[in-house]
Amino acid sequence: MSAHLTITKLNGLCSIQDLGRVNSQHLGFSASGASDEYSFLFANKLLNNDNNCAALEITLGQITLQASTACTIALTGADCQASINDQAIKNWQTYQLNEGDILHLNCPTHHLHSYLAISGGFSTTPWLNSQSQTYTELSLGFSGNQLKTKDKIPFDNHCINKDINQNTQKITYQQASLNSNRLIPNNFLPNKDKPLTLRFIASELFNSLTNTAQQSFINNDYQIAPQSNRMGYRLTSKATLAISHEKNLSKPVNFGAIQCPNDGQPIVLMKERQTIGGYPVMGTVIQVDLFRLSQKRSGEQVNFLPVNIEQAQAQLSAFYQKFPSNLFS
Amino acid sequence: MLDTLSLDESRKVSINATSENTLLLTWPEKICPKQHHVIINYEQLIKDTLAHLVLETIASYNSLMIYYRFDLMSSTDFKIKINKTLNSFLESSSTQSIKNTLPTAVIDIPVYYGLEAGWDLSLVSERTGLSVSQIIEQHSATTYHAYALGFTPGFCYLASLKPCLHLPRRDTPRLAIPQGAVAIAEQQTAVYPTDSPAGWHIIGQTPKTMYQIENQTFQATISVGQQVRFSPISLAEFHQLGGALIKEKQ
Repeated sequence: MSAHLTITKLNGLCSIQDLGRVNSQHLGFSASGASDEYSFLFANKLLNNDNNCAALEITLGQITLQASTACTIALTGADCQASINDQAIKNWQTYQLNEGDILHLNCPTHHLHSYLAISGGFSTTPWLNSQSQTYTELSLGFSGNQLKTKDKIPFDNHCINKDINQNTQKITYQQASLNSNRLIPNNFLPNKDKPLTLRFIASELFNSLTNTAQQSFINNDYQIAPQSNRMGYRLTSKATLAISHEKNLSKPVNFGAIQCPNDGQPIVLMKERQTIGGYPVMGTVIQVDLFRLSQKRSGEQVNFLPVNIEQAQAQLSAFYQKFPSNLFS
Repeated sequence: MLDTLSLDESRKVSINATSENTLLLTWPEKICPKQHHVIINYEQLIKDTLAHLVLETIASYNSLMIYYRFDLMSSTDFKIKINKTLNSFLESSSTQSIKNTLPTAVIDIPVYYGLEAGWDLSLVSERTGLSVSQIIEQHSATTYHAYALGFTPGFCYLASLKPCLHLPRRDTPRLAIPQGAVAIAEQQTAVYPTDSPAGWHIIGQTPKTMYQIENQTFQATISVGQQVRFSPISLAEFHQLGGALIKEKQ
């Protein structure tokens, strides 16, 4: 068996993710991919990996892994108070694991997804140019099985990065987005009381609504419902949107589309969205805010703010400039 | 071929920047093979001519989603480019008509419509007022047009059903229906490629698989734009063709 991490214990959810399956939605495959690209890309960047190297997306921690051989890892996203051989380690950092070392992640107190990247990336078999797993498509058997206890997750051990270990924290401190005193990026500071504002690009439908209806959509606070997951975030509020569902043929839907089903409670489509949908669409949440939303838990509050497409593109370009690499090649 | 009316209508396209890296083109809200034919011909054209900018295209009944390289071109500029390409495409197709006529090959899907296979046949019969044999006759008498692939891999939206078979979705979707289930909803019919949740009414089961895998490539049995027909078969034929009948758990 090649180099691998063995899952010795797993209570939460865990999947292999990269930046997703581009160019397979026309066949009906979900685009999938890492929910929080910020934390995912950050983990790869800490290791000098390519941006698209596959990492583990761990939801609500509670996983224990053992290294079959020496390797270098990075841990980002939700802070799981992780430890190596029972010694506490810091989040947003790289660490060297030696053969037999045990990495343990507890349940985080805030946020949802943590990313465990490894130097050179995990080397599971790709399907349609991506290693990303889609929970609803696992039964098809194309992208491996749902990860569980005793599974061995392979990686390429030619890529052990001797230059990066806990003694060379300079790599981490160099990150422009980090406060010099802290290792935690600003948007990962616990901020429980403030609702997350989701900036969105309004659809034709939204623009055709009365001013009152538009204001009601924007002025409302929404609560994240428990059924929210990688596929979609369901939002609830006291006000409901009365939208006509007549003559609405199913259309392709994009990342962040705000669907409005019959009950008037919006659903924001996330990475594991289906490719086509029939509900009226109010607009699209901009991607940098979707990465933030993906880390929010049920019960937390969000609201909406319209922006134009130029602002949305500028935000996303600025975001990817933090992770220079061949994102699209 | 396009008649004058549908051509005029096919010009009524709205182009919207739905996200940082997508444009959604929307034609009039109708299920129409000619309009759809314009859409998929145009889709092919931009895939061929704008390959350096276009990452992916997804067509549906009256719409086309284009994912593009937003790092290479702003939304405003890409919209201008698409608008220009679309206008010259519609212009040339009005003079020459669309070269490629509707595909002539019809994909045949054998269906066992027995009551134990068509979990909702009795319900559909009750709601439409048609007998089971009339339902089978009406469903299998139509040649359908494949409008979109989506929902799950290999799931193809086919239309249009005869009006006498139009029913809304089930009040409560089923959590699991079997691979090969043939189902209807409103104007549409489809085959479920895999076991999945479903809100459509199931009227039969087919032994035919909806996709093949070869060398890491996924080939859907039905491609968008193709013609499809359903042929009734007996239970014996269903078994001969490798079908495994799944009855509903009570």
